[in-house]
Amino acid sequence: MKIFRYAIQTVFKSLWREKWINFLTILSISIGLSLLTSFIMITLNMDSVLQRWAKNFGIVVYLDEDLNKEEENALKNRFLKDTDIVEVKYISKEEALKELHKTLGANALILEGLDENPLPSSFELRLKSSLIEPGIVKNKALQIEQMPGVDEVQYGEKWLSSLYAVSKTMKVGAMMVGGAIFIAITFITYSTIKIFFYRRKDEIETLKLLGATRSFIRLPFLLEGLIIGLLGGIISSLVIFGIYSFTSIKMVEFLPSINLVMASLPFQVYLIVPFAGAVVSVIGSFIAVGKIRY
Amino acid sequence: MISFTNVSKSYEDELILKDFTFNIDKGEVAYMTGPSGAGKTTLLKLIYCAERPDRGQIVVAGWDINKLKQRTIPFLRRNVGIVFQDFRLLLNKTVFDNIALALRVHYQHPNAIREDVNAVLKEVKLSHKAKTFPQQLSGGEQQRVVIARAMVSKPTVLLADEPTGNLDVDTSQTIMNLFREINARGTTVLIATHNHDLFHGTGRRVFFLRNKNIEKEIIG
Ligand SMILES: Nc1ncnc2c1ncn2[C@@H]1O[C@H](COP(=O)(O)OP(=O)(O)OP(=O)(O)O)[C@@H](O)[C@H]1O
Ligand SMILES: [Mg+2]
Repeated sequence: MKIFRYAIQTVFKSLWREKWINFLTILSISIGLSLLTSFIMITLNMDSVLQRWAKNFGIVVYLDEDLNKEEENALKNRFLKDTDIVEVKYISKEEALKELHKTLGANALILEGLDENPLPSSFELRLKSSLIEPGIVKNKALQIEQMPGVDEVQYGEKWLSSLYAVSKTMKVGAMMVGGAIFIAITFITYSTIKIFFYRRKDEIETLKLLGATRSFIRLPFLLEGLIIGLLGGIISSLVIFGIYSFTSIKMVEFLPSINLVMASLPFQVYLIVPFAGAVVSVIGSFIAVGKIRY
Repeated sequence: MISFTNVSKSYEDELILKDFTFNIDKGEVAYMTGPSGAGKTTLLKLIYCAERPDRGQIVVAGWDINKLKQRTIPFLRRNVGIVFQDFRLLLNKTVFDNIALALRVHYQHPNAIREDVNAVLKEVKLSHKAKTFPQQLSGGEQQRVVIARAMVSKPTVLLADEPTGNLDVDTSQTIMNLFREINARGTTVLIATHNHDLFHGTGRRVFFLRNKNIEKEIIG
């Protein structure tokens, strides 16, 4: 507490004396943080859409024609034991035919001429969502295809790889844009604090000669960075709250089903944003003050 | 209290002090004089670590300067009060705050600071100027503020660089009396000055600096 007393006084004086620079810095930080958060939200929402699609992703295992009940059960048990597989669904020849009838509807007549069911029985497997990646799925499919009694394995290979590519590009993009905004925010605080530091250069030299420690000299600047970042973050939280509430209300009006897709914004975001602002801002200030030499 | 052993110091290529050796005892008042550019300020800077020697050993209040880490320099300086030749007062702070700064760097309690600063202001007879800014003061008054700031933290060593620079005889005497009082409390005092009247008849040691070393040592 003792060590904060002078720093706090100095900071409040500086905040007031340099109110315009401080105001503009806070504004820039809040814009940066708002952009960053919106961007993360968009990415998260899109990702949750992709996740939903991926949930429906299944592998179809067609079985050999001449398999008996026991052999089919043996295969089923093997799939059930496999921890990579979360769901196993058996589709018998008859069910497959019924399904086909349903799909063809009025055109089902073409099936009339058949005296024997030409469809194979099959298993539909769902993999753990963490495994839904082109390479892993391909290996799994090949592995299953080697099993005795399995005729053929099919899955939407093309669809899967494009889904994967989209999601990956999005994540890399998000990281790059996010990183760029973080660096930008650091730089904004850096330059503001640097200006303050140079303005007080004489005073700092005198303080050093009077026996001020490094932390005594640094603290006011770090504290000022902290307050600037925190205020920027709080403003940004308010802006995000406003925009998000507004857009979700509008979206639901136009597209009621959007609710299913739009990830709700967890309240922690409103705490994380000011915290992130403060942390990044303090880092910027720390770099601005630099090494203090006597 | 202050000891130099074979100290050499140069700026860039210009040698200022060469094989300089001297010793100031605890509780002593000593004077240093010599022509402009002889290296008086440089010598004082070596004592409070604003400059580092090229060679030789310097010990101040038990601290070996050569072994001092950057981090510990502030703690040495808290034991050394300095009356700077160029004052180094902060123009945007009041007289009171300028003096208080020397205590604030020690993280002292505001009440204690107020008490000590007011006491020292009374000693230098500037109580009525506590709330004014340095530029509203005369040269002699500014000089007294600098002395007040140097003595407020009750340092073990007090260094005064030309403390009577351009003051009249009366003011100079007031200031010299202040140093005497400070010294009476146990502070070792080293004064650099051009003004021979300051040490005349004091019975204290006086070092004459010339040609990068001590030319002679007399009793004033
Ligand atoms: N930072 C520096 N860089 C380079 N040269 C310096 C520096 N400081 C002092 N000097 C030189 O060192 C020499 C001694 O300077 P110093 O200030 O110690 O003299 P002084 O005895 O205090 O003089 P004065 O009586 O005028 O105050 C001078 O020639 C000066 O030009
Ligand atoms: Mg000098």
